Amino acid sequence: MSGSTSVATPASIFTAAFALRLALFHLPALASTLADQVEISTPITSFKRLSEGVFLFRNGVPPYDGGVFHQVCAKGHARADRAFSGAKTDRLFNLLLSKAPLLLGLFYPILSSPLLVNLLYILGDLAIGYMLLQITAIKDQDSAHAKKIRQYGGQLESPGMDGVTVAALYLFNPFTIASCLGRSTILYSNLAVVAGIWMGMKRNQNLAMFNIALATYLSLYPAMLTIPVWLMLNREAGGYSVQKKTAAQSASVFLLSLGSLFLLSFVLVDSWDFFVSVYGTILTVSDLTPNLGLFWYFFIEMFDQFRPFFLVVFQIHVFTFAIPISIKLRKYPLFVSFLLCTIMGSFKGYPSVGDASLYLGLLPLSSEIFKYMRYSFLIVNLFLYSSLLAPIFWYLWVYVGSGNANFFYAIGLVYGIGEIILMIDTTFAVSRRDFELLSPVEEVSADGTKPDWDRKVIQK
Amino acid sequence: MRRFPDRILLLSGALLCFATISSPAAATSSSQHAFAARDTVPVLHAPEAFHEQLILKPMNDGSVYSHFQFTTHVGTMMDEEHFDGAASNIFTHYNLFPRSIGQILHSFDVEELHLTFTQGRWQYGDWGYPLAPSVGTGVELSAWMNDHTYQAEANWKGLTNTLSGLFCASLNFIDDTISIEPKMAFRHEGLYNVHARANTSSENAPRKLRYGSLPHENVCTENLTPWIKLLPCKNKAGIASLLKSHKLFDTRFYSMAVHVRPVCEDELCRVKSLELTQTISTVFDVARQDGSYDWSLSGLFEREITQACPLASTSNVIVHLPQTTPDSNQYQLGPYPPHKTYTTGAADNAQEIAVYDLRKTYSNESSTPFQLSLNWENSRPKSAHRYFTGFGQERGGLSIEVHNSDSQDREAILLDTLPWYLKLYLHTFSVEVNGKPLANQKDVVKKMFYQQAVDRSRPAVLELALNLPANSMVKFSISFDKVFLKYTEHPPDANRGFDVGYAVVTAPLPRQKGQIGYGGLDHSRVYQGRDASLVETRQVSSDTIAEDERDMIRVYTETLLVSLPTPDFSMPYNVITLTCTVIALFFGSMFNLLTRDFQEEEPTTAKDVKGKGKSKVE
Repeated sequence: MSGSTSVATPASIFTAAFALRLALFHLPALASTLADQVEISTPITSFKRLSEGVFLFRNGVPPYDGGVFHQVCAKGHARADRAFSGAKTDRLFNLLLSKAPLLLGLFYPILSSPLLVNLLYILGDLAIGYMLLQITAIKDQDSAHAKKIRQYGGQLESPGMDGVTVAALYLFNPFTIASCLGRSTILYSNLAVVAGIWMGMKRNQNLAMFNIALATYLSLYPAMLTIPVWLMLNREAGGYSVQKKTAAQSASVFLLSLGSLFLLSFVLVDSWDFFVSVYGTILTVSDLTPNLGLFWYFFIEMFDQFRPFFLVVFQIHVFTFAIPISIKLRKYPLFVSFLLCTIMGSFKGYPSVGDASLYLGLLPLSSEIFKYMRYSFLIVNLFLYSSLLAPIFWYLWVYVGSGNANFFYAIGLVYGIGEIILMIDTTFAVSRRDFELLSPVEEVSADGTKPDWDRKVIQK
Repeated sequence: MRRFPDRILLLSGALLCFATISSPAAATSSSQHAFAARDTVPVLHAPEAFHEQLILKPMNDGSVYSHFQFTTHVGTMMDEEHFDGAASNIFTHYNLFPRSIGQILHSFDVEELHLTFTQGRWQYGDWGYPLAPSVGTGVELSAWMNDHTYQAEANWKGLTNTLSGLFCASLNFIDDTISIEPKMAFRHEGLYNVHARANTSSENAPRKLRYGSLPHENVCTENLTPWIKLLPCKNKAGIASLLKSHKLFDTRFYSMAVHVRPVCEDELCRVKSLELTQTISTVFDVARQDGSYDWSLSGLFEREITQACPLASTSNVIVHLPQTTPDSNQYQLGPYPPHKTYTTGAADNAQEIAVYDLRKTYSNESSTPFQLSLNWENSRPKSAHRYFTGFGQERGGLSIEVHNSDSQDREAILLDTLPWYLKLYLHTFSVEVNGKPLANQKDVVKKMFYQQAVDRSRPAVLELALNLPANSMVKFSISFDKVFLKYTEHPPDANRGFDVGYAVVTAPLPRQKGQIGYGGLDHSRVYQGRDASLVETRQVSSDTIAEDERDMIRVYTETLLVSLPTPDFSMPYNVITLTCTVIALFFGSMFNLLTRDFQEEEPTTAKDVKGKGKSKVE
């Protein structure tokens, strides 16, 4: 494992994270305020909408097809009953509830108990932290027999962050805590993604693909992660034929899992309407509630006749990068999955800080690239700036009325630029480190001086 | 007669408008005595007299009709023996009669004048016939003019211009293009011909009627103020002190008139006089404030009568008492008893009237305000209110209050329709009875029908079958999120907000005869009478005849205005440009990183590279 001396043991980190969340959940004002923040709860991930869905489901209303809620108690008017039952339940194309049905099923039995719900969220977060710890351990094993990079002064590259630090960075990230307290359901999608990566690193093909399928089922975009996870499964794998075989296996496991999840949902809610409701809302961005993304104001202001065109362009744009990035950075599947998660978190229709907590949690897994980054200071400032000003500008617009929609949109743009610079800079750093690996610095240059570690390089 | 240029007329009118009208000297007590004795002994000199009267009439639909009438008599002529020539001679002395009106009549040779300002429409179906003669919306002006000298045309022009100035209204727009001369519809209101003289054969002296109306003339405070100035006591004392413009114009109907006509003071018309009648008719929607049909003078007018007008010969407040039967809703009139009650009309149209004489009330120098109120025993049978709660443009709550003031539980059905851009959360639905949250909603909500809204295609429908506890206020609350609309979905006046229609409470009530005070009940019965055969056939087929014995009344809540968050409507191009730039920044940079490889830069000179590198490291 790592040679760095760590004062914190995993147990203390997890205990502290657990206690912190439990304590904050006991400030009900804080939790409900966070749950109402548009930066935390999007239409897709809002706990309030989940509660509504569970409530309707519990009362026998098909939550996805715009049915009618019809509560009849035993003794009622005979006449009124006839009138009510005459109302047809017409099934319209409907975007009522954009929640995967299995989430309904998950919360169905426990929703009446806030403590259980809170515990589910806290444990979800802790599980992600634990898996990040495990992933770091596997990665350290891998890098133990990888080629070392000789750095400035002839020193070998120091190992990256240890697992406890990675887990702590995730667990104590303010974004993670806010998202957890706001009870955003993005947590379960994140959990599936991280589990998929973990299983991928453990070379457990079936579970890895199942988890990615689960994440896809929950929020669609993680379908892209099949590629980096397949890359993880095939680390140092043999020839082309083996890879081809595992590709086919992985694809079939993925599709099979996804299919069975859909089937299970169908069994649960007894209709296929959820398909349109959940994925239609994600893909058509029909709910234009503001968030930190770039979509909402764009499509509020977009001229009607161009709306479908830009919708298609924007959605394709998100998926475009999966294959080129995986080809170019195929040696770094962990980084590829980080990059794809960041792209999802930046360019999806309904991003929230929960997405940021995922990619910021995955980033320390590639901690060795940090020293090649050029704009770390700028990125940190952009994130701080936007996360401080977003609630303020939202308040100015929606509550005080002294600002307008442009204020919040501008902050969304700043946040987006921060994410974009983060992606560009980390990609640059990975490529730069890769270059160091491929063409190491000679020990002593021709003129007898020691060479600089930050050689002047150009992109060709 | 004189022919004024228009401009001078307007100017003089404007001056009149602002000039204080010469206030009448204190009326002599002798004139009042004489007036009291008028009925029996005809007096030659018809004295000046001023009468004030307020008639209050509760309507069937719960509104209250108030009619102010101020009448000023001035003896224009002696009897025939003492007739001293032209009527105009009288207009040199003014006591109670307003000089401005007198001068106008004199200058333009006007015999009769009818000027009405009206706002709103008189609902004949609901309110019956008005006490005021003229209730046409807008301004109506008609005058009988003496045409001895063939100056009627010019005088009419002068009259409209002068009245325009006097009442600060656009009466001068009643010009030749809209003035008419009706032949049949209007007759003399006056009781004799001013210019018919005994010694001449001018019984049919040339008189011309001129009539004009301005439908779009808005009536407001600036018209009321000059009108009040015509009164002897202004609005300082007596009934006129109730005239507060804020309340008068906040009514369903408002009409203000000035009528001048010649009248006879005795049966043989030997004593003749000129009568100025000023009226204000308003219909107050008393149920609008709190759903109650109770009213009081101070509530209606926000003013009080603290003294009678000392110049008035009579000063009465008259209340038309609502008809009730022993088994229907009873009312209480206060102060009770009034000074006098009597009945007018025949058996079917009998109308009980209560009279309060303010001169008696204030005969002993007291200055306590005159209180008059009418309270229903069961004034709020069922009423419903609805309002938004919360603040900001992100989310909110909706509350519906249903009051049941019956002494027994009542069934009712509540229907509310909410547009799709309010995203309701049914799991937040809660019921409170008399301010206390209800644990088991099924005690009140017997049945519930909820249809979810579908974005951009249908509204949410909430229908509740209720069992309202006796004497209770049941409050339903539900919270919602406001949807962010595309900029093209906003109306042109986006910041005004969106209207949300009313909710309806339908409640069966035991059928009662002659019931007054329940809105719309009479109409539903009329309707049922007309469709009696239809109803009967339905009753035969239905097994729930008992319920049809009841009238279903519907109580409507307020409509609401919801303001949704608006985007900046001027931004489309900016947003498209900026967003696309940011996305292009990412795409370009990523494309660059993915398609190009690193390569060591060829040092141009070794020194240069070394220097640069070192400075960077250190």
